[in-house]
Amino acid sequence: MANKTNNYNYPDKNGRFGSFGGRYVSETLISALEELESLYKKIKNDKKFQEELTNDLQTFVGRPSPLYFAKRWTDKLNGAKVFLKREDLNHTGAHKINNTVGQVLLAKKMGKKRIIAETGAGQHGVATAAVCARHGIECIIFMGSEDIQRQAQNVYRMKLMGAEVCPVSSGTSTLKDAMNEAMRDWVSYIDDTHYIIGSVAGPHPYPMIVRDFNSIVGTELKKQSKILFGKYPDKIVACVGGGSNAMGIFYPFIKDKEVDLIGVEAAGSGLSSGKHAAPLSDGSPGVLHGMKTYLMQNSDGQILGTHSVSAGLDYPGVGPEHSFLKDMGRVHYEAATDKEALKAFHDLSRIEGIMPALETSHALAWVSKNAKKLKKSDIVVVNLSGRGDKDMQSVAKADGINF
Amino acid sequence: MGRIKDSFERARNQESKTLITYYVAGDNNINFSKKVFLKLLSHADIIEIGVPFSDPMAEGSVIQRSHERALSSDITFSKILSLVKELRIHNQDKPIVLMGYMNNFLSQGENLFKKIKKAGVDGLIIVDLPYEESEFFYNKLKDIDLDLIRLISPTTPKKTIEKIVKFSSGFLYYVSFRGVTGAKLSNFKEVQDKVKYIKSKTKIPVVVGFGIKEGEIAQKMSKISDGVVVGSRLIDIIQQKNFRLNDSLKFLEKSLKTFKRDVRKK
Repeated sequence: MANKTNNYNYPDKNGRFGSFGGRYVSETLISALEELESLYKKIKNDKKFQEELTNDLQTFVGRPSPLYFAKRWTDKLNGAKVFLKREDLNHTGAHKINNTVGQVLLAKKMGKKRIIAETGAGQHGVATAAVCARHGIECIIFMGSEDIQRQAQNVYRMKLMGAEVCPVSSGTSTLKDAMNEAMRDWVSYIDDTHYIIGSVAGPHPYPMIVRDFNSIVGTELKKQSKILFGKYPDKIVACVGGGSNAMGIFYPFIKDKEVDLIGVEAAGSGLSSGKHAAPLSDGSPGVLHGMKTYLMQNSDGQILGTHSVSAGLDYPGVGPEHSFLKDMGRVHYEAATDKEALKAFHDLSRIEGIMPALETSHALAWVSKNAKKLKKSDIVVVNLSGRGDKDMQSVAKADGINF
Repeated sequence: MGRIKDSFERARNQESKTLITYYVAGDNNINFSKKVFLKLLSHADIIEIGVPFSDPMAEGSVIQRSHERALSSDITFSKILSLVKELRIHNQDKPIVLMGYMNNFLSQGENLFKKIKKAGVDGLIIVDLPYEESEFFYNKLKDIDLDLIRLISPTTPKKTIEKIVKFSSGFLYYVSFRGVTGAKLSNFKEVQDKVKYIKSKTKIPVVVGFGIKEGEIAQKMSKISDGVVVGSRLIDIIQQKNFRLNDSLKFLEKSLKTFKRDVRKK
């Protein structure tokens, strides 16, 4: 592992992270993916592009996000010191906008007139709608009809910002089906449309692009922790659905082996119940949505339905780079149940006055469970990937409260 | 590689182009689909058996629903292979091709190739097979005399076409437009030019699929290529008859006879 970590330079020229990743799509999409890849490589280091991006991140998103010491929670946990990287304070309330701000600039450079995106909980949809409104670009969001019911407020947010929301009622009517439908739309309008995938998932170059745009989180954390602690954190914890917030905060630290990286999946009703969304903990490698990665599937290769209290983690796959990092042992992946996540949600709300997204609450649950076992001098940073306002309905329902 | 090659030759000898049909195994249950395939075997030149997938990304709504119905009838890969074996009892001449998605084929492991050969399959179409893995599949299939049929689309650059044809056999499947199965064809001239270009680069027959809904299009397309693939339209026909077996088969036969006439040289 040591050697692999030192020379970490992925994806390779075929878009692979070891055996994971790749480009498993129908032939019609290949040339659009190649165009996107070559444009991205060209302008990634372009000074003017970087200036434009930085300006948007500062003035539209509100970066840098603060690194906050959760003192009262730390005292209660009576273990390691816990810090929160406050991505919940970003415009639109989550890390998702780091990616959409960058991708919309790419789309403009390619001369695309129409943006499409998939969304589960609606956070990526809202972040896409916001940047499209800001740039005056047509925006269509695909969302499972199941999720449209569960996340009515986010649907309305997207519409207020001028996006069209297309219900998807095929398959399980959730995130994975919204992604299928977005791909189908993209194939049909490939000449003038750019597809903004919301996670480090999908065919190459998406896992790389989405990771790179989100890695501003880890890059900021490096600077902030040097100033605040004089060293890097001992542990960094993030929740993993598709895995974009986790890749964003992990990636700049991959070569810094002294930093433990922990990804937390959704264990739903428990890993042994089968009702979960934890392909890394309890899945097997396969191909879905254009990538080879760990999946929840049966022995015939059919994708299984998932369960999690948080819509954003309710996905049967995971970004291919996470699969690679799991197998090489650089990141440790664990899982937290619905119950544990809900408890962490309540704890942070009550003790720190911060309502985390239910997705993020899975990472917090890991800290609740493990902080005691760590040294008091240890520094743990949690990527507080999103705020919990969108989850009021789900939390109230779990608590047996009707509005 | 016998049966596929023979079928194109046979069509040529009859001054016709090749009629290829697609239907999904297990729609709307395994026995129903068996009856449909038997009908297709007696009228079409090549039959494609769709392997249903939970997430068929390249399909339009008609074929998506078909995959969903098949999966809810508890179809499995091994049941599909048994189905092929049964079809082979009735028909030994016509090519049977499996068409599906990577994940279902991968799930069978290295035994996939031997198993499909033994069942009587003649070739594979893997919708989401990436270019860099095509050589591996091509060689594995070639070793046991099976064909790897590749798709080419309107957005495929010329230099990529040259690479694709290198690891293809049986026939090449030209996707007639940018879109999913069952949508409407828009640009005939583009298809004509692209098929002509492909044919200048290879001796492998080139067929046109996606959007072959009516006789007129089938006729036009078969004039400029070696054959056509009809899929969504056939499922549509059966759906219209509410999957009542006898009505469906009767209606299907009528439609196949018309398509067969349409692909005949004028």
